[in-house]
Amino acid sequence: MKITDRILGVIALGIAAFFIWRATLIEEPFISDPVGPRVFPIIICVLVGLTGLGLILKPDPEPQWPALATLLEIGAGTAVFVAYAELLPLLGFVIATVFAAGYLAWRLGATLPKAALAGLAISLGIFVVFHLALGLNLARGPLGF
Amino acid sequence: MDTLHALGDGFLVALSFQNLALAALGCFLGTIIGALPGLGPSNGVAILIPLAFSLGLPATPALILLTSVYYGAMYGGRISSILINIPGDEPAMMTCLDGYPMAQAGKAGEALAISGIASFVGAFFATWGLVFLAPQLVKVALLFGPAEYFALFALAFATIGGVAARNQIKAAFATGIGLLIAMVGVDLQTGVARFSFNNIHLYDGIDFLVAIVGLFALSEVFVFLEHRAGGGVDATKVPLGRSMPSAKMLGHVTPAVTRGTIVGFLAGVLPGAGASLGSFLAYMLEKKVSGRKGTFGAGDPRGVAAPEAGNNAAAGGALVPMLALGVPGSGTTAVLLSLLLALNITPGPLLFQKHPDVVWGLIAALFIANIMLLALNLPLVKIFVRVLQVPSRYLMPTVAMVSFVGIYGISGSSFDLLVMVGFGIMGWLFRKMDIPLVPVILGVLLGKLMETNLRRELTISDGNWGALLDSPLSIAIWTCAILGFVLPLFIGRFIRPAAVNNEALDSD
Amino acid sequence: MKFSTFCKAALACALLALPGTAHAFDPGSTECIAPANPGGGWDFTCRQVGKTLQDLGLISGTMQVTNLTGGSGGVAYAEVTGKRNKDNNLIVAASSATSTRLAQGAFPGANMDQVRWIASVGADYGVIAVSKNSPISTLPELFDKIKADPGSIAFAGGSAVGGWDHLKVLIAARKAGFKDVRKVKYVAFEGGGEAITQLLAGSVQAFSGDASEAKGFVDSGDIKVLAVLAPERMPGDFAKFPTAREQGIDAIGANWRGFYGPGGMSDEAYKFWEESIAKLYNSPEWKKVMETNGLAPLDLQGAKFEAFVKDSITDIQGLSREIGLIK
Repeated sequence: MKITDRILGVIALGIAAFFIWRATLIEEPFISDPVGPRVFPIIICVLVGLTGLGLILKPDPEPQWPALATLLEIGAGTAVFVAYAELLPLLGFVIATVFAAGYLAWRLGATLPKAALAGLAISLGIFVVFHLALGLNLARGPLGF
Repeated sequence: MDTLHALGDGFLVALSFQNLALAALGCFLGTIIGALPGLGPSNGVAILIPLAFSLGLPATPALILLTSVYYGAMYGGRISSILINIPGDEPAMMTCLDGYPMAQAGKAGEALAISGIASFVGAFFATWGLVFLAPQLVKVALLFGPAEYFALFALAFATIGGVAARNQIKAAFATGIGLLIAMVGVDLQTGVARFSFNNIHLYDGIDFLVAIVGLFALSEVFVFLEHRAGGGVDATKVPLGRSMPSAKMLGHVTPAVTRGTIVGFLAGVLPGAGASLGSFLAYMLEKKVSGRKGTFGAGDPRGVAAPEAGNNAAAGGALVPMLALGVPGSGTTAVLLSLLLALNITPGPLLFQKHPDVVWGLIAALFIANIMLLALNLPLVKIFVRVLQVPSRYLMPTVAMVSFVGIYGISGSSFDLLVMVGFGIMGWLFRKMDIPLVPVILGVLLGKLMETNLRRELTISDGNWGALLDSPLSIAIWTCAILGFVLPLFIGRFIRPAAVNNEALDSD
Repeated sequence: MKFSTFCKAALACALLALPGTAHAFDPGSTECIAPANPGGGWDFTCRQVGKTLQDLGLISGTMQVTNLTGGSGGVAYAEVTGKRNKDNNLIVAASSATSTRLAQGAFPGANMDQVRWIASVGADYGVIAVSKNSPISTLPELFDKIKADPGSIAFAGGSAVGGWDHLKVLIAARKAGFKDVRKVKYVAFEGGGEAITQLLAGSVQAFSGDASEAKGFVDSGDIKVLAVLAPERMPGDFAKFPTAREQGIDAIGANWRGFYGPGGMSDEAYKFWEESIAKLYNSPEWKKVMETNGLAPLDLQGAKFEAFVKDSITDIQGLSREIGLIK
């Protein structure tokens, strides 16, 4: 079974086709250089398409895909990251980070109390170093930090 | 000898207690900033400009502080590359390839020490190059028109085949994806938006920082989530090993450091090419030179030495066009340039004549920072490697959060964070499928430059493709690319099938 | 002085009374959004102005500089009009690039009336230059050469096609009597410095940029300025170069730098900012910053500045439509 690389090859062909289609939709500029904005993207798409064909014809051995539970773990991690990105400007840096860092520490094997502590320590540590020392502008929430 | 005399005066300026203290502070902050994923030399310097202002520093001390930060960040980027397989900044990307395998084999201390020494040598000779060759090197930069740049980027892409772990097709696929990402955003030559899907956040394209932090740092976090999910203790206890390499090993890497320094310095001198190209070409050249004898990708010390010498030499080289022409050769020198402006100094061809105290004070500061960094870094190797003993359940959340902060603190954009998470997932999938990540970043970094220079040349020549081969220099670069890298790919298949076995050693 | 203190007190009260809005909890803590990464022109404007305002005691404490990158300023514009419309402590760096984008409709759904235009802090006039070895020595000569053989001259500039450096060439070309300005070749580079390097390298034949970008190379004698796109001769080092107008080509191109604030900013806050920046503009400290950075005078505040931006947008719109950049 060498299904993964074959699927990837099909995806590559799909990407190539999609972006060639999008490239033809790039509006014709009024002032254009001899090459124009479409040629280079189309060349790249052809390259991606060819590698897709290559992958379908000459796939590698199947990689070790994790079990469903682990995939769910990755999915949950992604969801936390997405939520973090969205909530950062709303909650402010410190609060959002306590939760995100605490969650990760927990999932990576810390006990819940220790994970909560780690979340707090990481959040405050970063806040001190990046905001107070380096003056970087982290997200300010309703509480001002 | 006027030059040496002027340099002596520069040392008089730089060797005051205050300036030495500032250099030490800058080196320290720079090393840390460089080691943090997402924060590299350019945004590190930019972040610290207000500090220079609020300390009320005059021009020379401010420059000393910030160039120390610059050199320090170039040093620091390698630390996280070696220890946790996450490049601290983009030029340190190549150092991951052999540095991390070395660390896993219990040679973290040696890898750090070798890379520190290589960084020192690269930066040291680059600074001398800056002292003696700046005026001549400016002429080299002026030899590079759009056609020559196009050839240079073609050379870089021709070498990519060597990055691939097992499957060349996958390296090509990764390059294509990187190039495609580079196409997103407003096209410089026509002003029309490409692949931006009417999303204002995509008008300026995708920042390579977002890509590199996502692909390397976040995907590493996903890898840990995958393996450690649901608890358990840390499985790996990596031995720390010795903290100084043997004389034999140092001798072994010396030629690599020499070649890396030269390649990196030249890449640095060319505006627009920069340190990433310097470290990439240095690594590829070394791999090429060592041929079948090397264990590149599996912890070859030369694979750590060459790119580190290369990127630090490039940092010095990039100061040539900035000081002599007022043209920034990299993101960092662009920031230093705006600092010069803010300090009442107009950079440009007359800078050496008009502000010799500033220029020579700065160059002296570079020497001092460099020596200080070596002195700071070698003893600290023992402390740095302790990072490996931090349990990953605390280290990885920190890495993830620092990555988010690095991106958000610079761009202030939640959208960028989402894109970064997307890159994190992509990086994890690519790692599972054994698709190399370096070509993706190279495509993102250089793709647009390559296209832009092609189109500039063809605009100038009114669409005459022959103009691409109109100068001896561009013909030379193309010859290099074809003879050195493209032909062996095909010939090697038939003549040296054994070489393939070596490639099979390359794995992450 | 008294007035501004009063103003700040009023501001503080006004802000305390609005606990519901984000960022309102820091009365007197001012913020400047630079719609680009650290190191760029907008970032520089924010930091220089913030520092000078603090040095002059016009604001208490440090002005926080926030970088909000994306869409060539469009992301910051959307953020201010959308989320921070009532923030009295906020100003945003802007320049000709902002008005060019607004004029060409590059910020989707945005127009200049959504924000309050506060004041300018200076302008950077355009120059057209050639390498010192070029046989060409006046602007009309340059355009005559292009008319005779359009392929022989390529302009280099630091902005994208349709951007400010390109528009300056087109403005001048139109005034020089070109019917189809598309014939004038323009090559876009990453910045003014790179464009000048390519001029010195001989890859291109002419340069379009701002006076500040060209200054170092003018001093060293590496490039020859054919014309300054200012209404009259500039002070200082550039005084020896003729304006385009003197040479019979009535083209003016000023890259202004200034600030806008949120559209819902209170009148008191608007007045505070307008007057603070006016004081800043007239201070010797700022004069020095202008001189160092090659900024020419452009002293406009409040309603006058707003009218100026409106005019400049109308002009760019007309030009872009005429040459077909927008429909």
